Amino acid sequence: MSSGLANEALAYADALHNLARYLTGSETDAEDLVQETYARALRAAHQFTPGTNLKAWLFRILRNTFLSLYRRQRHNPTVGGLDTVNPDVPGVASESWMLGDIELDRLRKVVAQELEAALMTLSDDARTVILLDLEGLKETEVAEVLGCAVGTVKSRLARARAALRQRLKDYGT
Amino acid sequence: MKCEDVRIQLLDYQRGRVPLPAQDEMRAHLDACPDCTRAEGVEHELTSVLEHRLPQHPASLALKRRLAAQWPAAEAETPWWSRWRPQLAAAFAVVALLLVATPVLYYERTASHLANARAGMVAEAVNDHLRLLGSQHPLDVEGGGFHQVKPWFTGRLDFAPAVAFEGDADFPLKGGAIGYFRDRKAAVFVYARRLHPISLLVFRADGLAWPADALTRIASTDAYVTAERGFNVILWRRGEFGYALVSDVNARELEQLAAKLTGGS
Repeated sequence: MSSGLANEALAYADALHNLARYLTGSETDAEDLVQETYARALRAAHQFTPGTNLKAWLFRILRNTFLSLYRRQRHNPTVGGLDTVNPDVPGVASESWMLGDIELDRLRKVVAQELEAALMTLSDDARTVILLDLEGLKETEVAEVLGCAVGTVKSRLARARAALRQRLKDYGT
Repeated sequence: MKCEDVRIQLLDYQRGRVPLPAQDEMRAHLDACPDCTRAEGVEHELTSVLEHRLPQHPASLALKRRLAAQWPAAEAETPWWSRWRPQLAAAFAVVALLLVATPVLYYERTASHLANARAGMVAEAVNDHLRLLGSQHPLDVEGGGFHQVKPWFTGRLDFAPAVAFEGDADFPLKGGAIGYFRDRKAAVFVYARRLHPISLLVFRADGLAWPADALTRIASTDAYVTAERGFNVILWRRGEFGYALVSDVNARELEQLAAKLTGGS
């Protein structure tokens, strides 16, 4: 890997660690995950296509590393895919409270700890899609990270945000 | 356009991803439909809350140091003409004109030496920054402002560091320490940008191979701007002093501080 690419890759350490922290829920595991991600990226550097999004490529490696090393070790009920969890989360349109001023008011009052706690109750995939969206990745890049179609990203993101709003309903009451 | 169609596309609408004709239709619908307007407000608020209040967990400095160590260090750039070195050498061997070959070989060795020396200076600056942050007591003199930090160096160095920037709200001065740059003592001023520490090393410039090309104009000074192992580095020389600015803040912010330092020093 060229020194320029290595320097650019290292510049994404904060963003990668942030996602790793939200996926693993542990500082130690997050550090291990990021370190393993960079080790794998270094070994696979020849597969990276110059001119494509290095950040998205690293996120994909991190997610795949997480899936192969961490997810299978855990017994968290929220670790299944987004499509297999939160069956109690209703559709956006069916929740009258979610469209009202009450929800808007609660959202404005929600504090950082509540937001983090609510996010951590979502599935790994839901958390991932929300955080990748926050990182400013385009839908095509998120699709590349998650290994799914762009349309799937749209629906997953919408469902993940709806689930998060539903969880936030429990705070600030 | 129906409410269901609008709700599905609200996020795309807010991100500017809806094509123009549909965008106009959505805007018209939102102007006329209070429920969808509220729904849009909620989506907007959720994005805002996530962007501004969701706790961020950046990598620790120790992790960054480990990552930098496990990755290959940046190598000095190879001159483009070095690929032709064998052919050049063969041609010169055939011609065998000592008066021509000697200056070329001399230049080649000098250029290589300078490139290595330049890379060495950058690596030294990053190492000094890491050494300082990795020590148990990174600052010998802490807080108290510029007029406590700068006089503290008197008697501890064989020069008075020429630094005039006292720190401000954007780049507060956190303290100072004695460091070493190559074979000489250095005054280290530690500024901060949010939670990022920034080291300014000031040392005697004589005898060092300063970069002479690929310089960037910052305020009134030509500086060498580069990055190594995830850290941004700016080197410049003014009078008898050399300056090395190192941090993991982004390059633009580091150049802002360099401009303040070079503008006032």
